[in-house]
Amino acid sequence: MNASLLDALRVQDEPYYVPVAGEVGLFEAAYATRLPVMLKGPTGCGKTRFVEHMAWRLSRPLITIACNEELSAADLLGQYLLADGNTRWQDGPLTIAARFGAICYLDEVVEARQDTLVVIHPLTDDRRLLSLPARSEAFRVHPDFELVVSHNPGYQSALKNLKPSTKQRFGAIEFGYPERSTEIEILIHETALARPMAERLVSIAEATRRLKGHELDEGVSTRMLVHAGALIGKGVEVEAACQMALVCPLTDDPELTQALLASVRACL
Amino acid sequence: MNSALKDGEFAPGARAFVRALWGIGMRISPLPANAASAANTRARFLGSQLWLPSTLPPGVSADGVQLAAAAHAAAHLRFSGARFLPRGLKPVQVALISLFEDARVERLACQEYPGLFRLWAPFFELQAPGTRTSDALLARLAFSLHTGTSDPDSWVNEARQRFFACDAPLCDPNFVRELGGRLGNELGQMRLPFAARDYVVTPAYRDDHFGVWQFELENAAEGAELELKSAGSRAAAADVSALRNRSSTSPDANGTASAFAVPDRAEPEHAASPAFSYPEWDYVIACERAAFCTLRERAAPRVDPERLDASVRGYAGTRRRLLRAASRLAEEQRVHQRRLTSGSRLDLRAAIASLLPLERQAGAPRVYRRTRFRREPPALLVLLDCSESLNVVPRGSAFSALELARRASALLGSTLDALSRDWAIHGFNSNGRKDVGYFRFKDFGEPYDDQARARLAAMRAGLSTRLGTALRHAGQALHARRATRKVLIVVSDGEPSDVDVHDPDYLAFDARRATRVNRQRGVTSFCIGLGSSAENCIRTIFGNRHFLTIDRLERLPEQLSRLSLRFAG
Repeated sequence: MNASLLDALRVQDEPYYVPVAGEVGLFEAAYATRLPVMLKGPTGCGKTRFVEHMAWRLSRPLITIACNEELSAADLLGQYLLADGNTRWQDGPLTIAARFGAICYLDEVVEARQDTLVVIHPLTDDRRLLSLPARSEAFRVHPDFELVVSHNPGYQSALKNLKPSTKQRFGAIEFGYPERSTEIEILIHETALARPMAERLVSIAEATRRLKGHELDEGVSTRMLVHAGALIGKGVEVEAACQMALVCPLTDDPELTQALLASVRACL
Repeated sequence: MNSALKDGEFAPGARAFVRALWGIGMRISPLPANAASAANTRARFLGSQLWLPSTLPPGVSADGVQLAAAAHAAAHLRFSGARFLPRGLKPVQVALISLFEDARVERLACQEYPGLFRLWAPFFELQAPGTRTSDALLARLAFSLHTGTSDPDSWVNEARQRFFACDAPLCDPNFVRELGGRLGNELGQMRLPFAARDYVVTPAYRDDHFGVWQFELENAAEGAELELKSAGSRAAAADVSALRNRSSTSPDANGTASAFAVPDRAEPEHAASPAFSYPEWDYVIACERAAFCTLRERAAPRVDPERLDASVRGYAGTRRRLLRAASRLAEEQRVHQRRLTSGSRLDLRAAIASLLPLERQAGAPRVYRRTRFRREPPALLVLLDCSESLNVVPRGSAFSALELARRASALLGSTLDALSRDWAIHGFNSNGRKDVGYFRFKDFGEPYDDQARARLAAMRAGLSTRLGTALRHAGQALHARRATRKVLIVVSDGEPSDVDVHDPDYLAFDARRATRVNRQRGVTSFCIGLGSSAENCIRTIFGNRHFLTIDRLERLPEQLSRLSLRFAG
C-alpha cells in the first residue's frame, strides 16, 4: 500500500456540516481515546456527512464500507486471489484501514450478518489487534486507526440488530433530523433555494414525519429535501419536484400517495 | 421502504392526511345509510371518530371529498375549543354559529397550511342571487367567508364584514358564538323562516356540526328538542347510539361492552361461506367415509381490541423471550456453494486441483467458494379450539383455558408479525358432523391490526370439538401457501368430542388420520395442550415429539423454543 492511495482517500475540501448538539466535540474526544463510535439515527439525517466532516477535521483518510447481508469476513479482511497460476493475498478494506491508520466507516452496520461482525471484536477492545486467520497473520493496528459504524434503529425488523457483545464496544452518538431553523439553513446552503420555499419544504417533511410508525416507516429526510430542492433549482415545477423526490420514493400505496400529495399541496 | 395502510380500511388516505397535518390519529368509518335520513350526505365527527358519508353528492370525487372532509374535521379538533352549549339558542343561531366556527377554524388551518385553501375551494360555488331564503343566505355567507369577497346581499355582506372586522383574536372561539347569536337574531327579525329539519350544511365536505355542539343526550327534555337545536345535524339521539354501536372503535362509547359485542353485520368480510365437505376416518371399519362432515366458515365477531391489548400488556419480558424463540423459527439456512468461477473465498483444494493438467482444459478455473444464506420463515397457522370445554379454568391457572389461548395467541401474534405476514390464527368448534364452524381471526397475508385483534378479543367458546374436520380444513389452507415449510399449531385443551359421537376413540383416530394426511402434503402439525388433562389423547393424535403443554403464559417462550427445535429436527 503506498501513500498515494491513502492520499486519495483523504477528504480534501471541508464537507458542509452544521453541528446540532455537540457531536463534533464528542467525536473528537472519542477519537482521542480511540473509542469506536456508533452513529444512530434515521436515514438521510447526516450521519455519513458527519463522518466525512470529522475525517476532514482530523485529517485522516476515510474508508467507507456499505454493509449488506452478503458481506463476508473475507470482504472485510481480505482474501487470496488467483493470478498467473499462483495465489496472491489481497487486503480487504478493514485491513487496509487498520494497517495504515485510516478511519473505517461501516455504513448501515446491522445490514451485515451478526457473525460477520465478530471479526471487528479484537480490533475494538484494548488489544487493538487484527487477525487474519486465512493468512495466519495477526498484527497490532495503526495507532491512528478508528472504527465508526452507523445504523438506523427505526425501521429494521426485529431480526436485525447487533449482538450485545458487538454493541458494547462502541460509544454511541444519537442523531435526529435537525431542528426546523437548522434544517432550513441546511437546505438553503445545499440547494440555494429562497427561504420561503425552503420553509415550505421543511413543513412538508415535518408533516410526513408525523406518519412515522403509523403509515410510514420513515418520513421525508433532510437528504430527500435536498433532492427536491435540487430539482426545483433545475426549474422543475414545485409540486412535480416534491412528487418525484419526496412522495414517490416513500410509498407505493395509491391511497397513501394521495394523502402525501395532499399534504404537499397543503404546505405550498 | 414499505408503507403500511391497513387492508380493507375505510378511507386510509384521509386518515394518513390528518395525521400528517396535525398528528391527529383519527378513526374513520363509513356513515351507515340507516343512521339518519336517506338524504344525509354530510360527514359527522365526535371526538376523534369521523364518519364519512358513503353516498357522495353528484359531481364530486370520493378522494377529494374525503380528504377535504377529514381536513375540515381535523381543523375542528385542532382549533375548536370545548364544544358549544346550545342552551337558549334558536336553531338558526346554532346554524350561524356553526358556520362562523367553520370559517374560523379553516382560516386558522390555512394560516398553517396555505394550500388547504385550494383543497376546499372547489366545493364552493357562487350561486346567482335568487329567492332570499335563509338557506340561500347561509350558503352565500359560507362562500363569502371562504373567499373574503363581498356579496351583493346586504345582510351577507354585513355578516362578512363583522367577522373580519372583529377585534378578538381568531384563536378565540367565543367571538363566533357572540357574532352568530346576534346575526341569527337579525335574520329572525327579517322574518325569513329557517327549517332546521331540511337544512343541509354547504359546501358538501363540511360536517353536520354535531361534533361542535355539546347536546345533552341524557336529558330527555333536551333530547326532544335536539332535532330542532342541532340545526345542521338533523340527527336524533338514537342516531348517535346507533353509530356508536356500529363503530366498534368509537372513543367516546363509555367502554360499553354490550355495545361492542354486537356482531358487525354490515361488513361482509369472513361472512358465512359455502359448505366444505370432508371425509372422516372410521377406525372400526378402517375406512374413510367420503364427504361425511360439513364445515362452514363463519364471520368472527369483533369487540374493542384494547381489551386484548390490556390483557397482555404486563408480559413484556415474556414477549422479548418469545421473539427470540420465534426468530429461531425463521432462522436462516446456510448454503455452501463450491467450485464457482467467482466467489468470496478461494477454495484451496479446488485451486490445487485446477493446476492439474486434466482440469486446466476445462475453461475458467472453478476454484472459489461462497456461503449464501437463505432466510424463509415458515407459513404458520395457529388453530384454536373454541369448544365449550375451553371455558373451564385449568389447574394452576388464574383464568380460563380460553383466556389462556387468547393471550397466548395475542403474544404469539405480535411476535410473529415482526417476522413475516405469512401466518394466521383460525378457530373452530362443532355441533355434530354436519355443522363444523370455522373462524378466521387473522388470515394469511393480513396485518395483525386492530381488526384482527378485535376478532381475537371477541373469541368465545361453545359447542364441541370435531378436530379431524378442522385439521383437514386448516391443512387445506396451509397447503395453498407458497412457503416451503408449513406448520400447523393446534391449541386445544384435550380430546376431541362431538354430540353425535359416543365412542371416545373414534374422533381421536380420525384426527390422527387427518394429521398424517396433512404431513404427507407437507404440513407439519404440533399441538399446544392447555393444561394437561388429556395428554394421552393428544399424544396419540400428534405424536410424542409434536406435543407440549402450557399452563402459564410465562412458559410459552420456552415451550415455543422447544417446539421450534423439534420443528428444525
